[in-house]
Formats: sequence, structure tokens, C-alpha cells
Amino acid sequence: MSIIEAKNITKIFGSGHTAVKAINGVSLKVEAGDIILIMGPSGSGKTTLISMLGTLMRPTGGTIWIGGEDISEMSGAKLANLRLHHLGFMFQSFNLLSALTAQQNAAVPLMIAGLSKKPALKKAEELLEKLQLGERLDSLPKNLSGGEKQRVAVARALANQPAVILADEPTANLDSKTGHEVMQLLCNTACSEGRAVIIVSHDARLKDVAKRVITIEDGRLTKEEPGNHEPNCPTEHGGQKQ
Amino acid sequence: MFLIAVRNLFQEKTRLLISVGGVAFSIVLIMVLTGLYRGWNDKMGQYIRSVPADLWVMQDGTEDMFHTPSVLPLDYESKIADLDGIASVKPFSGRRVAFHTANQQDVGLYIVAYDAERQTGLPAAIATGQNVPQASEIIVDRITAKNKNIKINDSLDIAGQKFKVVGLSEGGDVVTFSFAFAAKEDAEQILRLPNSTNFFTVQLKNNTDPNQAISNIKNNLPGVDAVTKKQFVSNNTKLIRESFLPVILVLLIIGTVVGTAVIGLTIFTSVVEKIREYGVLKAIGMSHRQLYGVVIKQAMIAGLTGFATGSLIAFGLQATVGDFVPQFVSQINALDMLWVFGLTLAMATLASYMPIRRIADVDPAEVFKA
Ligand SMILES: Nc1ncnc2c1ncn2[C@@H]1O[C@H](COP(=O)(O)OP(=O)(O)OP(=O)(O)O)[C@@H](O)[C@H]1O
Ligand SMILES: [Mg+2]
Repeated sequence: MSIIEAKNITKIFGSGHTAVKAINGVSLKVEAGDIILIMGPSGSGKTTLISMLGTLMRPTGGTIWIGGEDISEMSGAKLANLRLHHLGFMFQSFNLLSALTAQQNAAVPLMIAGLSKKPALKKAEELLEKLQLGERLDSLPKNLSGGEKQRVAVARALANQPAVILADEPTANLDSKTGHEVMQLLCNTACSEGRAVIIVSHDARLKDVAKRVITIEDGRLTKEEPGNHEPNCPTEHGGQKQ
Repeated sequence: MFLIAVRNLFQEKTRLLISVGGVAFSIVLIMVLTGLYRGWNDKMGQYIRSVPADLWVMQDGTEDMFHTPSVLPLDYESKIADLDGIASVKPFSGRRVAFHTANQQDVGLYIVAYDAERQTGLPAAIATGQNVPQASEIIVDRITAKNKNIKINDSLDIAGQKFKVVGLSEGGDVVTFSFAFAAKEDAEQILRLPNSTNFFTVQLKNNTDPNQAISNIKNNLPGVDAVTKKQFVSNNTKLIRESFLPVILVLLIIGTVVGTAVIGLTIFTSVVEKIREYGVLKAIGMSHRQLYGVVIKQAMIAGLTGFATGSLIAFGLQATVGDFVPQFVSQINALDMLWVFGLTLAMATLASYMPIRRIADVDPAEVFKA
């Protein structure tokens, strides 16, 4: 069973002669351990697609199954719960909570899931240490560099051990070296833990961390090729350049 | 999600201060007014409560001591005493007089006739000086004395008679005037009620039903009314209740609106500023209930901190202002604290409504937009 399966999904914004067909019959299967890079020109529908796969937007047509369950009939509350436990998110502008420290930010999904503050913070600390942020636990986002912020976001995305991590342009606000490092860190961690990753990006260098590279044009998947990720996951994040 | 609520709230300290300050202001307003109401109500009845009497007997049509005069013939005393269940009957005479002191201070006193023989018309308690007045002597209330700069041994010219101040009494201040005590013969010169008195105070034998005694009095003495002490106190404080309560109610509403608006606006501004962060929380799986909880917790923390601050200020005022402004007799009680506390919770809940509506409208898909 695929973690996520999309079958012939479409998304139309607006109606009548102003209607925009942002996604036009996309089918896709995401398996455990997949690291998928979705590339395509601006306006091709990448954000729309990843929003639908992440249950943040409902498709106009077609079906999406997550963990084998058709999500089209699920209520908003049920979808929120599904996102909390099975999906992790990363964003172009990091989107950390500005009032919380790095450690508290990473602990947020755990606390939403009902873990009390102390064990949640403990777990967040462990995660951040793995991501080499052990020294910055008490820093507020405004005092962190872009790369550090995105690594906190990685910790937050991984906190509830989701089956899939979805990232839209996660490197767009980082210099290319830092962006590459952060994504390598994410992908190696996800790979070694058997999680899938879907990355939307313009950045061709991310082919190095991906196992599958999919091209989207005018709302359709036009090409799939293998990425350059080493077939076996490096155990101790060995692939990254320091 | 207490952490997020607290952190968001404390991130903008100035705004938090405004929020807490606004609530504290309305709490002070509400508490002080309620305290003054309680205080004045209590003061108005304080002297009457101190007089040893189960019933007060008066001319029919009279309700209280100060606004509806009562005159009764003295020979009613024995008629009342003969009725069933009556232990003792004493006349009580007094009248309000206005005069000004040597240093041109306007003073209002309710002069009570002290009868040494019958032991009626005594002050509630003495602060300094003589316990009872002799001929041409007067005992005035301590608070009036202080306000009007009247001292022991001063001479007062009241309704054509000269009195020497020989004592200061306690517990007879009725805010706009006060009780004073003069010997019966002197008082009669002022009251000019030959063979009459204003009231009779009645003590009942044990096990006598006060209502039964009241109907006995009314049935046997036409044109006479009687009420229990409790009722008489209530009649005398009615003015405060009727004139003060509607004003309090209006100010209470204003206070509540101000408090709610201040919390509501500060939390709403904070939510609008952080709307993207609330969208992120939605996207990563926070339920609507949890999101609303974050808002309500912020409103509650601001509201309750305001309540605590406001209560402290109100009690501080209660303890100190009376020394400078004698009319400031505030008595905040536990029950009032409790309902003001409830009101604060209501303000915080009401204030959360708009911010919650705003969060409910956020589309979590927006967070993918850069
Ligand atoms: N909420 C919306 N309402 C109307 N049209 C929309 C909406 N969101 C996206 N679109 C349109 O759908 C198409 C696909 O948009 P989308 O944001 O998915 O592209 P993208 O591939 O993510 O582009 P970019 O690389 O610039 O981020 C565009 O033509 C866009 O204008
Ligand atoms: Mg996009």
C-alpha cells in the first residue's frame, strides 16, 4: 500500500471563463522511503499539487488516499488529525512561531498531539541535537540564521514521526550551499527512518538528494527520472558537507 | 497549549500592559463603586442597629428616621407596654438640625435626646471624652468633628442654644450628616414636642413572635405603625439603594464594556499580526478547539491578571483614601469579589469572540504562499 496515492486529480480555481485549471489529471504514488523532487516552471501547479497531497486543499476531481484511506469524505477535524500524525510540513519562509524558542517550536506538534510540556521539550531537544542545533535550543527565531531556522523546521516536521514530509520551496530563502545541506540532512534522516519526502523546488541541485525527480508542466506530470540519492541511506548523515 | 498562549501574550509587553491596565481600571471602577455602595448602606443603618430594640414604633405613614417625620403621644408608652409579649418600651426622640460653627462650617446633625433615667438615646460608642451629655453639653460624631474641625470644649450654637462639646462618639456618621447626643431637657427645647416623642423602641419577651407583636400594636393603637429593627434599618437605607444602585449599574456596564473592549482589541490585534502563525498551526494539525483555546487562554490570562491588579488597587484605595476623604467608606466583601471575578471571566470569553472568528476564517493552504 502506498503512503499517498493520487488518482487523476484536478484542481480548477474560479469558474466560467475566468476558470484556471491549475492541476489537470495528475496520478502519483508515494511509497515509504521515497524522496521525490517535483520541478517545473512557475505557475505549473507545484504548490497546488503539494497542497492537495498535504490535505490543505481539496481537489476538484479525482481521489487521494492517504494510508489507504480516501480523504475526500473526511471532515476538517479529521484531516487536521491526519496531518498532525502522518504528515510533516516545511515552508519556503520557515514559518516558525516567533514567540517560541527553537526547542519550543520543535516541540509544538508533540504538544498538539497531547504530550505534556516536559517530555515534549525533552524530545525536541534530542531532535535538535541530531540536527546539530543543540547549542541553539533557547534561541528565538529572530536570532537564528536562515539555515538554522530551516533546521528547526526540519525538527518540527519530523517531531511526530510522520510517514511523509512535504516541503514547498524549502531552500528558496537560503543560499544554495546552506539549502543543499539542510535538505541533505532532512532526506538522510527521513530515508534512514523509512519516511517519504516530497520536495517542490526550482533548485536543480536538489536532484542530488532525491530518489525520484518529477517534472510538472501546465498542471500535468510530463516526465519522471531517477535522482542522484545514493540507493542506501547513509546512516550517520554521512553525505552532508560541513 | 498554555505555552503558546503565554509566549504570544508576553511577546508584546506594551500591549499586554495596556490590556491588563484596561481590565484593572474597569475592575477598580466596579469594585470601588460596589464597595462604596456597601459602605454607605452599612453606615446609614449603623446607629439604628446599635440601638437595643426589637421593634420600632412610629406614626402611621412614617417609613424612616430622616425623611418622614413621626410624632406619637407619650402616653402610648404604657398602652404598648400592656400588650402581650412586650418586655420594655422606651421613647426615642431626635431631629435633624443645621447650623454653622464659629469658623463658618456648615454642619448637619441629628440630635438625639439622651434620657439618663430611662437610659435611651445613648451613642453607639465613645471615642474620646464623656460617655453621656449633662445639661448644655453635646456629644458629636468623631468623623463629623474631624471634618468640620470641631474639638472637645468647643462651643456650638444650635437652634438658639449654646452647647459645649464634651465627647466624640463612634459609629454615628451617616455620610451627609451624623448623630449627636444632648440631654433630654436641652433636646426638648430644640425638638419642641411637649408630651410627645418621635418613636418608641420596644424589646420583646423571649419567644414572642415579632409579627404577632406588630399586629397587636397596630390593632390596639390606631394610626400607629411598627416594624422590626431589620425592616427599620432597611427603610433608612432605602435612599442609598434607590439612588445609588441605578448609577452603579450604569457604571458597571461601562466598566464591563471597557474591560471587554480592551482585552478584545489587544488580543484581536495580536491575532491579526500573527494570523500566519495561526495558519501554520492549522496546517500542521492543530484542531480548531485547540486554536480557540490558545486565544481564550490569552484573554483569560490578561483578564485575570487585570482582575488581580484591579482588586489590589481597589483594596489599597479602600484602606487609604478614607483617611483623606471621609465620605469614602468602601466595604468590598467576598461575595462582591466573587461576582466581579465571574464578570472578568465573562469579559475574557466575550473578548475572545472576534479573534476566534478571525482564526476560523484562515485557510491553512495560505501558508504555502511565500
Ligand atoms: N487560490 C487561487 N486562485 C486562483 N488561481 C490560483 C490560486 N492558486 C493558484 N492559482 C493559479 O494556479 C496556477 C498554479 O499555481 P501554483 O501556485 O500551484 O504554481 P507553482 O508551480 O507553485 O508556481 P511557483 O513556482 O511560482 O510557486 C497558477 O496559474 C496560479 O495563478
Ligand atoms: Mg509555488
